[in-house]
Amino acid sequence: MARILLTVPPLTGHLNPALAVAEILAAQGHVLAWAVHAEQIGRALPAGAHVFPLDGDGGTGASALPTARGLESVRLFYEDYAFPMAAAALAPLEQAARAFRPDVMVVDHQAMAGALVARKLGLPFVSLVTTSASIQKASPMIDAWVAAQFAELQRDYLPHSFIVERPDFSPHRMIVFSIRSLAGDTRTLVDAPYLFVGPALSDFRRQVDFPWGWLDLDQRLLLVTLGTISRDSGTRFFEVIMEAVQDLQRLQVVMVAPACLANRAPAHVLVRETVPQLKLLDRAAGVICHAGHNTVCEALTRGLPMIVSPIRDDQPVIARQVIDAGAALFMRHGKVTPKVARATIETLLNTPSLAERARALGGALRQAPGAAGAAAAIAALAGAGRRAA
Amino acid sequence: MPLPYDAILATLISTIRGTVNEDWIQDFPIGAETRFNDDLELESIEFVKIADAVQSRFGTDLDIAGFLSGRSIQELIALSVGDLAQFIAA
Repeated sequence: MARILLTVPPLTGHLNPALAVAEILAAQGHVLAWAVHAEQIGRALPAGAHVFPLDGDGGTGASALPTARGLESVRLFYEDYAFPMAAAALAPLEQAARAFRPDVMVVDHQAMAGALVARKLGLPFVSLVTTSASIQKASPMIDAWVAAQFAELQRDYLPHSFIVERPDFSPHRMIVFSIRSLAGDTRTLVDAPYLFVGPALSDFRRQVDFPWGWLDLDQRLLLVTLGTISRDSGTRFFEVIMEAVQDLQRLQVVMVAPACLANRAPAHVLVRETVPQLKLLDRAAGVICHAGHNTVCEALTRGLPMIVSPIRDDQPVIARQVIDAGAALFMRHGKVTPKVARATIETLLNTPSLAERARALGGALRQAPGAAGAAAAIAALAGAGRRAA
Repeated sequence: MPLPYDAILATLISTIRGTVNEDWIQDFPIGAETRFNDDLELESIEFVKIADAVQSRFGTDLDIAGFLSGRSIQELIALSVGDLAQFIAA
């Protein structure tokens, strides 16, 4: 059995796929350890997990995620969040790797310190890609900006001969929690040894109460969610949607939105701050979302067409992928008016081709091996590494 | 003979309204200071469409790709309608 060291950033969307893969590897008898920001996500790890904290001695906690929109959010994510976190994590993570002596490291693509430590110590590593946006070729200007930051991160840490333009791309395996028909082809992707395993769907989310009796099976259900609402306290978007659906017939709308909107909701709109999303998707006819990678995969897996209204980070790229795949319509988050929203919702519910494309993508997503496929690739790499040693 | 800046700016603004083609932008105040990212929430694919329309309106010898690649990411994020108009006028 292999010794496997996992490192992921303290972000739920990155942690959950890793947890699903780790659960399988642990059940197979492999010995796992986690190098993570334990104060932030330690509680989400399995009971008794072997943890090397990155926010303890010598490390620092991760800062808050920025809330800007568009390309500015991408700049802030890397410059103010991911790269400072990587620089601070190098020393404690190297200590952890030297102490644990893994056969293989499993490194989230945005936990760049993990890739550098693995390269320095000569350990094989796989990258876990939790968003298909991070492996896209960008414009030359953005590629140069990313490369400059990686050059700086590597300069004081790695021997000169080890320095490469993109150390975050594993030369062994890039495990992508998406499918090729969504993520794009070789023309649009950075050249790397990809393994597309589809989403790692397992429900680590806590149980959430929901008034199931409110749902009317004779009506179509639309789920509106922009992900974790705490980052977007604004209510404008939800108010626009509420006005847009005011007179739409045979429709119920569940909105994951601030509770203050509840008393303004018409009878066929239900406002909840948290919902059992997967169970609701099982009943839904369509989704309006921010194009977060997980929500998009969860909706498509059930063959649901969607309206995408991206705000920041990887969302504009994911949104474009689903639109190009023919399963989604675009809505401009901060600008959309009730009139345009209503027309877009009517198109969503009355265009069979959108649902057909969503069902086709859903079929491919359901057939993908998911977390089990990722676990098999990791175990294979660990075995190859030990035979070579 | 180069076109006057004001005429270029006016044409650029009407190109933006026509390319986005949504109800809000018809009344949305757009001027030289208006930023493509923060103020208009334009996607990069829409910016490319606008640039293409500008190319065909003002001549194909405009190197818009070169104009963009010479900028830092901060400059790209802050890019305003006036920045693009000035480049076309120059």
